[in-house]
Amino acid sequence: MYNRPRGYWNPTTETMPRDDLRQWQWQKLQAILRHVYAGSPFYRRRMDESGCRPEDIHSLDEYCRRFPLLTREDITAAEGEAPPFGSLAAISPDLAMRYHQTSGSTGQPPVRTFDTARDWAWAADMWAIGLYGMGIRPKDRAAVAFGYGLFIGFWGLHYALEKIGCTTIATGSFDSEKRIQLLIDQGITVLACTPTYALRLALTAQQMGVDLRRDTQVRTVVTSGEPRPEATKLAIAEAFDAFVGDTAGMTEAATIFMFECPEEPGGAHIIETDYIEEVLDPETHEPVGYGERGVRVMTSLGREGICMLRYWTNDLVVKLPFSDCTCGRTWDLYQGGIQGRHDDMRKIRGVWFVPSMVEDVVRAFPAIDEYQCELTTIDALDTLVLTIEPRPDLSPADCESLRMQVALAAKRTLSVTPRVELANPGQLPRFEMKARRFRDARPVAAGEPA
Amino acid sequence: MTEQYQIITLSTEERDRLQRVYTDLLSLAGCEVPAVRSAARAALAQIAQALNGQGLAFDLYSQDLDETPTPY
Repeated sequence: MYNRPRGYWNPTTETMPRDDLRQWQWQKLQAILRHVYAGSPFYRRRMDESGCRPEDIHSLDEYCRRFPLLTREDITAAEGEAPPFGSLAAISPDLAMRYHQTSGSTGQPPVRTFDTARDWAWAADMWAIGLYGMGIRPKDRAAVAFGYGLFIGFWGLHYALEKIGCTTIATGSFDSEKRIQLLIDQGITVLACTPTYALRLALTAQQMGVDLRRDTQVRTVVTSGEPRPEATKLAIAEAFDAFVGDTAGMTEAATIFMFECPEEPGGAHIIETDYIEEVLDPETHEPVGYGERGVRVMTSLGREGICMLRYWTNDLVVKLPFSDCTCGRTWDLYQGGIQGRHDDMRKIRGVWFVPSMVEDVVRAFPAIDEYQCELTTIDALDTLVLTIEPRPDLSPADCESLRMQVALAAKRTLSVTPRVELANPGQLPRFEMKARRFRDARPVAAGEPA
Repeated sequence: MTEQYQIITLSTEERDRLQRVYTDLLSLAGCEVPAVRSAARAALAQIAQALNGQGLAFDLYSQDLDETPTPY
């Protein structure tokens, strides 16, 4: 039995009393407000217009009540004034030593960001907080299964692993079979990849005749990049016999803002020393309480170049108090991590639906290799069509039985009766990052986000 | 034995040394020898983050290291 180490990267600030934590946030926020007002034409303009100059904001509460929300469209417009960074940057891009941009998977222009040496040291340290907190130590040997392109993905994780002192292997050019072989040959103990890719590796291993539980030493799988429902976590944990630690970050932040500790309280800790995280009602923009779902609004207290102040992320989250976890951190939690995207929410025949709910249903069936989900109009009715690709070794009768079981489970979970269809082996697309398994194919978008 | 949660803090001497090394690196960040300047700036970034992580100091310093144009 593997005894996972427990510990804190920064013991003092990870366990500081909540009042001290808020004071520390406020101290940093004041410095950032002064910094962006002096250096960013974009922020100076909106702070002047809204009466939120540094001297006008007297507390964290006042900041959260009055400072204007920042949207993705605001960033695009600010950067569009003089690409690549426009009026948003708070210091000269000449000081940058890294450049990243969003993946562009939404079809919008990418958000472009840079990092100074200082910013990048901070970004890697946010990852180090999470990785150390998961029990990763200098003796670990890690494989990073990621493409290493412009998308920020696991870049920060790679640097954090090196900072902790782990042997870190970049597998950007590897295919899945080569990665499986590396896990075995190098005695890899930590694997970092998207949840989708972890499942794909498990499938590849099965096809190669490799038992990941027996033939590898992987004890930690660090996932990021996509919402990861509980059923997916369990499927990955089962395949590798490993702790599956969820994280979430974004290019706009340069790094992660939450991570799951080994006590597995059903959520991920928010790195509150370095972020002010609000959860707002999508309609009223008023704060919601613990246990209520809302949209995550992020203020980063880290970067000096590209600063995010009250950024409307569109991530759907439910905040829980830190006391729900036994690890001793005083940082609140997001229940189940990121639960989906507000702009992906749809109403089907009067019932709200989030695509990640389908994943939770599908991943409970290990016999399903891949799936796609489409919202379409059939006989003038909004209809959810769920296409599943069973494992190739299933008989036609087993496939049909699986189809019926999935339909029942989906109806029970989603409160919507989907049409479940079968795909042939290998028919559906595979993903490594930013899996897109949902499509709204209705001629008129009747279910716009609330 | 499995490592368990412990709240380890800096001694007064360690804290003073950390703050002092930051000040020293800041002064070396303007050194005219390229290799020394680069090393000081790389180390400065790490030490600044160590101070931030311990809740001791938070600094947005890069614009003060160079004479650079305004961003826009």
